[in-house]
Amino acid sequence: MQPIDRRSFLKKSLVSVTAVSLRGHQPLAAAAQTAAPNAPAVSSSPTPGIIDTNVNLFNWPFRALKYRDTQALVAKLKKHRVIEAWAGSFEALLAKDMNGVNARLAAECLEHGPGFLIPFGSINLAWPDWQEDVRRCHEVHQMPGIRIYPGYQPFDLDHPGMESLMRMIAERGLILQVVFGMEDLRVHHPIINVGPVTFAPLLKAVQSTPNAKVELLHFSGSSQGEDLSLFMTKTNTVMDISRLEGNGAVGRMIGTVQGLPSARVPVDRIVFGSHAPYFPVETAILKLIESPLDVQQLQAIMQSNARRLLPRA
Amino acid sequence: MNPREFFINPADYGLPTRDDLVAYRIWDNHFHGFAAKNPVEQYERNNFFVERMGIERSIAQEVGGTLDEPFAPYPYDAEILKILERDKARLSGRTPIDPTYPEESCAKIEKWIRDGPCIGIKYPGSDKKGVTCSHPNNDPIMRLAAELDVHVYVHTWLKVGGMPRLPGGGNGESESTPMDLAKLAQRFPQVAMICGHSGGDWELGVRAVRPHKNVLLEFAGSDPHSGMVEYAIRELGVDRLVWGGHGPSRSYATELGKVLDADISKADRMKIFGGNLRRITASIFRKKGMKIEP
Repeated sequence: MQPIDRRSFLKKSLVSVTAVSLRGHQPLAAAAQTAAPNAPAVSSSPTPGIIDTNVNLFNWPFRALKYRDTQALVAKLKKHRVIEAWAGSFEALLAKDMNGVNARLAAECLEHGPGFLIPFGSINLAWPDWQEDVRRCHEVHQMPGIRIYPGYQPFDLDHPGMESLMRMIAERGLILQVVFGMEDLRVHHPIINVGPVTFAPLLKAVQSTPNAKVELLHFSGSSQGEDLSLFMTKTNTVMDISRLEGNGAVGRMIGTVQGLPSARVPVDRIVFGSHAPYFPVETAILKLIESPLDVQQLQAIMQSNARRLLPRA
Repeated sequence: MNPREFFINPADYGLPTRDDLVAYRIWDNHFHGFAAKNPVEQYERNNFFVERMGIERSIAQEVGGTLDEPFAPYPYDAEILKILERDKARLSGRTPIDPTYPEESCAKIEKWIRDGPCIGIKYPGSDKKGVTCSHPNNDPIMRLAAELDVHVYVHTWLKVGGMPRLPGGGNGESESTPMDLAKLAQRFPQVAMICGHSGGDWELGVRAVRPHKNVLLEFAGSDPHSGMVEYAIRELGVDRLVWGGHGPSRSYATELGKVLDADISKADRMKIFGGNLRRITASIFRKKGMKIEP
């Protein structure tokens, strides 16, 4: 094992620290360690708080999740230095009364995590007058974005309403979160028969509304040809890390793992998402630790990319 | 980047540091480092992550043949054998067999376990002839496993599908379910068996193997679900759980998160991360002249 070049390491860290100012920073408890050959080294870089762009509240329909209680979930997220969580609702998967779903979500966020839980309401393109749900999410509940769950909600992304939804989102300055899956298709309850979500129509929709803010949630990164790279050339497109799989998956996606193909997505388009409480929040944070990422890359993924998409005081 | 170089301190995020992970003495029960078109290159590259995440020992699932063709001559066998010798302080292997061919399977066990470096038997279940681990073909293989006092790893899944649509209805022709493994375990209670992937559907997999004390449940190669480890401890007891990384196709982060999600003692975490696997492999390591700290 080669000793760490501590001088260049610290220089790099300090440059990045002065270049950004992020919420939730605290100095590390331990200063930079002397880099003995076999010792792990942690820099004296800041510890940015995390914006988790992918959590859901209430009950998963098929199992009592460990952190199904919102208070418990908030405490769990804060324990892991999450400073803000964009919350959808498991109720949106199967419900028909979307306004009821969204009203309960807004109230729950306000009661248990004001300023911490940011509600992302849902609309269902297969239900009539979904446009009114968009309006209420924005104007009544003051939500900054909409989360859709194709598959559980009975439509795919080639639905004729998709381009219209994209235009509404862009006109209102909302964020559209598109959920590509909730759980492994192989372990679905037999009564559920949800197929994979098709990515290509989303690329078409975003090409017609190039400034729309769109986030891919729980997206595996697999797409045909150059679709993902093309998608990420648009101004406000990002994806979360919750579904990235394989050793060093985040690093592989942005091209920091030596010996593997180069980046498919620029680092400024990757945001943190845990998929909690279905997934352990530990898993997503460990992905950042496992991948070879430097200070700037970590800060971008943990906080600043999401903050760019949703600026808040 | 040096694998031990970190730009955030995991402890600041409520997670174990690398030193903490090393102290857990993590044995990766499910390592696919050699499953690639160029297995040696992949193995060497993956060592960055083994080192970074503090894995103490990895058990390769394909030593002597591949999971798809366990009996076909494999051009990388010689190189893999050299690596097993070079890295014996941190790498071991299982050899894949196929109960469709019990005689060939037993011959392979003789070659790769009794006379070779391997420490376990792997059932891939990738054949197409419909012989799962519950079939009578398995009996001579189990008798040999008992004689060698070697454990048996069985890939199990419960893929939903079929008509009527049910868990397991979507399995491959020879892909065992946890219920198949339960039948085998009942016939051979003296053989330690590992229910791979927790059966895929862990809620059902746990139920299937629950009565059979010789079956351990593996957390590897399925999605991380919050609460899954605590559920398994409640139903099976902590002494029946093992952990696998399933890398490089799965992430150590994914798999470690399953166990770190559980609110359990350090002693129990250590059992799952490696202690239980060391217990069931102690005999075979001893026979190979390797002293393993429990």
